[in-house]
Amino acid sequence: MPTSAAPVPAVAAQSPTTRKAIANNFRELTKDPKKLDEAANQLYESLLEDAVTGIFIEVHHLRKIGNLSALDGVAEESAHRICDVPNLDIFGVSTAKKAIDCTCPNCDRLVAAARFAPHLEKCMGMGRISSRIASRRLATKEGTSASSNSSYVHSGANAGGTDDEDDVDWSSDKRKKKSTQNSRNNGSKKNNGKTF
Amino acid sequence: MTIFNAVDKFTMMSGDRVKIKDLLSSRLTECGWRDEVRLLCRSILQEKGAISSFTVEQLVTEVTPRARSLVPDAVKKELLIKIRTIFDENEDDDIDPEDA
Repeated sequence: MPTSAAPVPAVAAQSPTTRKAIANNFRELTKDPKKLDEAANQLYESLLEDAVTGIFIEVHHLRKIGNLSALDGVAEESAHRICDVPNLDIFGVSTAKKAIDCTCPNCDRLVAAARFAPHLEKCMGMGRISSRIASRRLATKEGTSASSNSSYVHSGANAGGTDDEDDVDWSSDKRKKKSTQNSRNNGSKKNNGKTF
Repeated sequence: MTIFNAVDKFTMMSGDRVKIKDLLSSRLTECGWRDEVRLLCRSILQEKGAISSFTVEQLVTEVTPRARSLVPDAVKKELLIKIRTIFDENEDDDIDPEDA
């Protein structure tokens, strides 16, 4: 077994005689090539043993700490594999856009899901703007005469087309204007609010 | 063991032992020997780790001969040559101060 490093300084510091003795021993040894070979082999073996012991200590340490199994890692599950098929995303789901339409419970129109909430707000007269419009409409209805009402209807036909068509455009089946009557009415409501 | 003792002490004294050891460990790391031995230890531990009577000493006795045979010949040869050259150098070096 190789001696530990601790006694080295002691040996070196003791006295020149021990140093000399070691050197002498060594020199005697070097005279015999056979012994020299043996010595070289033994030195090599001892160093190798040191290296192995180092690994043992390392492994032992990891084991005691509980990190040995962590080195193995966890096998990758097939469920978490990245899917590499064309037209599918990494989860294996089709990339084709699925259009989701909702039917408005108020006017029975198909509205794209993304547009459904704004549509509902407008359609049912709820929300900040809509309620303001509604209250103004109530106020105007009382005061308006028949002639002024008809003018609102006309002007609404121009402007109202764009506003109401938002919903229709966003609806995925691209239905065109449902009825001119409907858009006219909606437009006039909107326009009423704006003018006041 | 006297031969070995003499050599061991002498190389320690001259500081060559550390040099050779560093060389050996770097070579063994380079050629993947370290990983192989570590893997060997782990596989043995997985087999017999459950047995409570399995000791570190048993592991050492089981792994050491295999680890020894796992060392590549090239590394072993290089190390032996290096050791020999160091021996030769020391032989030359130490004669002079001894005589002086």
